[in-house]
Amino acid sequence: MQSGDSLPELAPGDLPRQFTSRAALQQHLQQLFPSASGALSPIVGGWAAAQERLAAVDPGAYGRSRNHLAGAVTHLSPYIRHGVLGLAAVRDAVLGRITRRPEGEKLVNELGWRDYWQRLWGQLGDGIWDDQEPLKTGHPASSYASELPADIAGGSTGLACMDAFAAELRATGWLHNHARMWLAAYVVHWRRVRWQAGARWFLQHLLDGDPASNNLSWQWVASSFSHKPYLFNRANLERFGAGHHCQGCPAARRCPFDASYEALEQRLFAVTPTPRRR
Amino acid sequence: MTAAPMTATPMNSPILWIHGAALGPANPALVAWPGRPAVFVFDDALIAGSALSLKRLGFLYECLLELPVTIRRGDVASEVLAFAARHQADGVVTTAAVDPRFRQLGQAIAARVPLTVLPVEPFVAPEAGGPQPGDLGRFSRYWRRAEPLVWQRFKG
Ligand SMILES: Cc1cc2nc3c(=O)[nH]c(=O)nc-3n(C[C@H](O)[C@H](O)[C@H](O)COP(=O)(O)OP(=O)(O)OC[C@H]3O[C@@H](n4cnc5c(N)ncnc54)[C@H](O)[C@@H]3O)c2cc1C
Repeated sequence: MQSGDSLPELAPGDLPRQFTSRAALQQHLQQLFPSASGALSPIVGGWAAAQERLAAVDPGAYGRSRNHLAGAVTHLSPYIRHGVLGLAAVRDAVLGRITRRPEGEKLVNELGWRDYWQRLWGQLGDGIWDDQEPLKTGHPASSYASELPADIAGGSTGLACMDAFAAELRATGWLHNHARMWLAAYVVHWRRVRWQAGARWFLQHLLDGDPASNNLSWQWVASSFSHKPYLFNRANLERFGAGHHCQGCPAARRCPFDASYEALEQRLFAVTPTPRRR
Repeated sequence: MTAAPMTATPMNSPILWIHGAALGPANPALVAWPGRPAVFVFDDALIAGSALSLKRLGFLYECLLELPVTIRRGDVASEVLAFAARHQADGVVTTAAVDPRFRQLGQAIAARVPLTVLPVEPFVAPEAGGPQPGDLGRFSRYWRRAEPLVWQRFKG
């Protein structure tokens, strides 16, 4: 599986560097870390895989379609998170691929979010685990459950969309940004669970799991790092491509997301802020 | 992304400490010291404490298999120090990371051997007019300052 030229020699306690297959690597890891759950992701680590992803980036298509689950998002996040690709190198690759500035504006802006969260982490340190501001939901922080309910992580809520997102998270370690937002909003607002419990769950699984981008995004959804809580409804979910889950959803007729924003605000919050929509 | 080198002690035969925020061939430590022994340590305390799933560890492992690095597990600072002793190194070179855990580990290592922390190329060049620590209240404010500097590089 690996380059042969200058492999370090193995001393006692050094972990092996040669495997006949991914299955062999997985077996090795299972023996090495018996408490680590699950299997390998279909997403392959390493620079070669990152280069393939980078070559496929289409900034213009990204700008037009990124909010859709099937949109032309880059899937670069695990490689950026672990420094396989530097953020500056990705920036330069994007700038080098476009001829007009508007083609690249959306993607460069999203790269900026990563830099922004990293800078905040540098400032806040482990404080990113604390509420940055009071919640704007009208509910006291103490009314949120501190543990993630088992049906959410287990993908057995009976809501086809949320269960599919949880299964994808567990199997691949990657979710589209919109799926992350919907899942987080469901956990925090519909199930009234502290965002920290959801954030810890995501970090167990996300290959791009990064306490800064993750926790601060959870806080943005929860409203401890934003002016308003983030909400979605069924129409929003259907519009951006998760509607196919509704067909055959056991809860389709009593869908908790099938309402106007105004009705959801009344139902979910103790005040009536106007939630942000994306 | 952060901080200038922690120490500037001249070194002749350091080992390189590769960590999970810099797993590419452009890692400045690997570029500055080609051929020097390099080590990555799976952080047992972090893995257990965060209950990391196997796929996360597998992703890291696959990244490491493409780098000239010795892979170990255990207590990170002790493993790095033991690796330095094994190679009779006169210091440790690594790459900056934002994670506060990196800073703690770096301090534990620097208490015993000279440690040099190399900077990573920043996303926004640290120029006059760029984002300041006081600009991080909301993304929009940060971006107003960062965006023009990022686009200065576009030669369209
Ligand atoms: C609840 C929640 C948790 C999240 N947790 C993480 C996390 O742990 N790690 C992580 O990298 N991102 C996280 N994100 C941000 C975002 O969802 C992912 O970065 C993105 O979906 C990754 O897919 P991509 O590489 O195809 O992104 P693209 O849309 O193609 O974007 C390109 C790159 O820009 C950066 N980026 C894009 N959007 C964001 C964003 N909103 N915040 C920060 N960086 C961004 C990423 O590095 C990404 O790889 C989270 C978002 C939410 C709502």
